[in-house]
Amino acid sequence: MASVLAIEAQGLFKSFDGKPAVQGIDIAIPEGSIYGILGPNGAGKTTTLRMLLGIIEPDGGRRALLGHERPLDAARIVGYLPEERGLYPAMATREAIAFMGALRGLPLDVGRRRAEILLRENGLGDYVDKPIKSLSKGMAQTIQLFGTIVHKPKLVVLDEPFSGLDPINQGRLEHLIREEAAAGTTIIFSTHVIAHAERLCERIAIIVGGRIRFEGLVAEARDRLRPQVRLRTRQAEGSWHSALPADARPVEGVWEFELPGDGIEPLLKVLIAGGAGIEELSIERPGLHDAFVVIAGEAAAREMANGATERAGAAA
Amino acid sequence: MMSVFDAAWVIARRDFVASVFSRSFILFLIAPLLLFGFLLFAAGMAGEAERDASRPVVALVADSDTVARLEGARDELATATSEQSFPLLRAVAPAENLVAQARWLLADQEAGYSAVFTGTLDQPVLIGPAQVDFHVGTRIRLIVDRARRTAALEAAGVEVPPVPIRRIVTGQAAGNLQMLRRQLAGSAQGLIFGVSLMLSTLLLSNLVEEKSNKVIEVLAAAVPLDAVFFGKLIAMLGISGVGLTLWGGMLASGYLFWQVLADWVALPQVSPAVGWSPFAILLLLYYCANFMLLGALFLGIGAQASNIREIQTVSMPVTLLQVGVFLLAMTVIGRDTGALTWFAYIFPFSSPMAMVAHAAKHETLWPHLLALSWHATWVFVIVRGSARLFRRTVLKSSADGAFFSLAAFRRGRAG
Repeated sequence: MASVLAIEAQGLFKSFDGKPAVQGIDIAIPEGSIYGILGPNGAGKTTTLRMLLGIIEPDGGRRALLGHERPLDAARIVGYLPEERGLYPAMATREAIAFMGALRGLPLDVGRRRAEILLRENGLGDYVDKPIKSLSKGMAQTIQLFGTIVHKPKLVVLDEPFSGLDPINQGRLEHLIREEAAAGTTIIFSTHVIAHAERLCERIAIIVGGRIRFEGLVAEARDRLRPQVRLRTRQAEGSWHSALPADARPVEGVWEFELPGDGIEPLLKVLIAGGAGIEELSIERPGLHDAFVVIAGEAAAREMANGATERAGAAA
Repeated sequence: MMSVFDAAWVIARRDFVASVFSRSFILFLIAPLLLFGFLLFAAGMAGEAERDASRPVVALVADSDTVARLEGARDELATATSEQSFPLLRAVAPAENLVAQARWLLADQEAGYSAVFTGTLDQPVLIGPAQVDFHVGTRIRLIVDRARRTAALEAAGVEVPPVPIRRIVTGQAAGNLQMLRRQLAGSAQGLIFGVSLMLSTLLLSNLVEEKSNKVIEVLAAAVPLDAVFFGKLIAMLGISGVGLTLWGGMLASGYLFWQVLADWVALPQVSPAVGWSPFAILLLLYYCANFMLLGALFLGIGAQASNIREIQTVSMPVTLLQVGVFLLAMTVIGRDTGALTWFAYIFPFSSPMAMVAHAAKHETLWPHLLALSWHATWVFVIVRGSARLFRRTVLKSSADGAFFSLAAFRRGRAG
């Protein structure tokens, strides 16, 4: 079934024990993109992903996965890494990967061959026949990720894939995500860590309190804020001073303000004419984190940062 | 997507391999054999001593002629019936004060007399508590009567030699055949019940692994939950099949070996009403049906438990349920009609055991086709219900699709 959208959801609603967890979420994820879902703990990210995959049924709304209204109909071409990793501890790594492929319709012998290739290509060739319980947490997580992609899905859904991984494994995972995306796979992942989304995603959704606060390109999110200007002058006072925008504030000898609506050129002319003595002038595009603070609010940003710190602590 | 059956096969294969190729499976296989062997050994060791110890002993405080006649009569009666049916007799030399001696004998902890016989054959006296009247009193009366009759015949010089009975062998007598078939029915039911009872805890705890190590999320995202439940049931059925093959094979080998030692291989003299081959097939099918029905129920119950402690808590009610169902099924052995009998045939959980008894007792085959279809329907209903309940209570999700839609089931719509 041809579709330009890998995932399309409209008005998804879900409540648990009368408490709404997700309230009318609309998402449209183009095929072949890397899509991030950002939000603090309890925002509804996992519930949204689980509804999209059909693990739980929404109380309201509709969704389509690769053109299929019933997510299980697309199971053969979807891979899923849940937030709480699930592997059989006694299973050998190759068998675990092949089993996860078999669940998605991949013949076991093909799954075993591909598993061995994946393990060897990623420096885990010595662990082919080792049981999962003998692996480190990071390694086990990598094995599960291989199990998620062994059947070469068109769509991979990763719920908090970076949590519990050390920086080296996080880097590996980012590399793997890029590789899969380059091969045409649509990747959707949820995360606490804005930096991952900023580095990897073309599009994001920011969810807070079960509602989408933003959905679109990362660039569009960042464009919610005006670029920030940093100006250092040799002269502290002068006639040019009155030309600075109203929001300009001195921070350790540097003026910081939003780029004026008419650009930087008019201000530059005044600064030069007024003999301000420009020592340093930079125009910085705001980061996704700044955009997140504006879109989701300070409280959500703080909560998200705390969650990320807790998870990093747990991984360490 | 894969059909429910394909997906169930993937789950079943993994569970089967994981169980059969684990070290603990050897323990699973040898545990019943060890238990059986231990029971045989213990029964053998303790049997004779226990039988003697549990038989009442009567002290014979009488003259030597009376004692000899009573012992002779007892031996004749015991030989004609069974040694266990009569109390042991032990001669004790009479003292001057018989009443005092009897009191002393009854109080003797070491000798352990239940009663004391004094007097003669014509004036017998039995001293002892009222509780021994049935087990000792009636038997002593028989012994005394026989001894008196023998003595009277001897005194009259009359000999009554035993008359040989001319034997005319016929085919099975209806009454005897019914009795043997009832025994066969009971044995078949006992076999199904025993094996199911052994495996019920395994079934209860079957989904705890997936829940505790979070694999259930991976499974639920990839395959219908019906397939997960079916796969686990099929795997457990396969595992029990391995066990049954081994245990049955060893028992059969032992039986044949014993027969060879006896210099002759004898097959049982009675055949079930449907014949041995159909009965063996039906026994296997009803074992599978019973396993799938109870297994689906226990899997569903166990799936609601979140840890082993909860499993242990529900184990006892589940065992009681099995015993209740077994007792219900046993009612069809002795009777063919009546509300309880029909209920045992129809109630899904007692039906397989009731129907195997039916196969032992009645020739007609078509009710078995009906019964097996009935069982298959209930397995479908229970698995579907369990999967939906699991989805609702554990995954906190409603289930889409119609409960009874077979097409939807095949495609894994509602699970």
